[in-house]
Amino acid sequence: MKHIDKLNSSKVPIVPIDKRLEKYRGKVLFPEKLAKANEILARAALPKFVK
Amino acid sequence: MNKTRYQFKAEDHFEYFEFYSEGPNGVVKKVVEYQKTSDENVYNLAFGDYDEVAKGIDDLSVTNNGDSLKVLTTVASTVYAFTDKHPKVMIIATGSTSVRTRLYRMGITNNLDEISQDFAIFGFTKDNTWVKFEIGEDYEAFLVTKKENAF
Repeated sequence: MKHIDKLNSSKVPIVPIDKRLEKYRGKVLFPEKLAKANEILARAALPKFVK
Repeated sequence: MNKTRYQFKAEDHFEYFEFYSEGPNGVVKKVVEYQKTSDENVYNLAFGDYDEVAKGIDDLSVTNNGDSLKVLTTVASTVYAFTDKHPKVMIIATGSTSVRTRLYRMGITNNLDEISQDFAIFGFTKDNTWVKFEIGEDYEAFLVTKKENAF
């Protein structure tokens, strides 16, 4: 029961795996957003307080 | 995140997730993607509607299903799943419009106490610098990493 209680209170969800989602692998679904992220990463170094 | 969210599923790398938004405008498939950026330790978080007809994603669509909070909570839950699988990474998120970016900021603000228990959060300012996320400040993008990765 303790194990079940721990699972129920965990913030990390139990995620079912669906092999059909492998159709996305290797694809960039949001190219414009990725480009924007890369552009921002190029403009500044990552926070210095990140290990 | 103990708020109501949609059940979602993933492929086994946990880089793509799917769930269904339900509301007055019907059932809409949503896809969440974590895509590696030019920095191999940073993944871009993006999500949007899957267009079943065009077989593509639309990140500018407005579903109007009256469930934006539930959708955001679901996406936030994928952050927990993704970082559990990839604990050392950082996640960058930008809105597709300034309105969306403000929506993300509000989502972080409203859940900051809970998020801060597990994650370090940074905002990208107009001065092109990353700073610790502060309530009430405007940011162009957000960066999230597990708390143990930050000083």
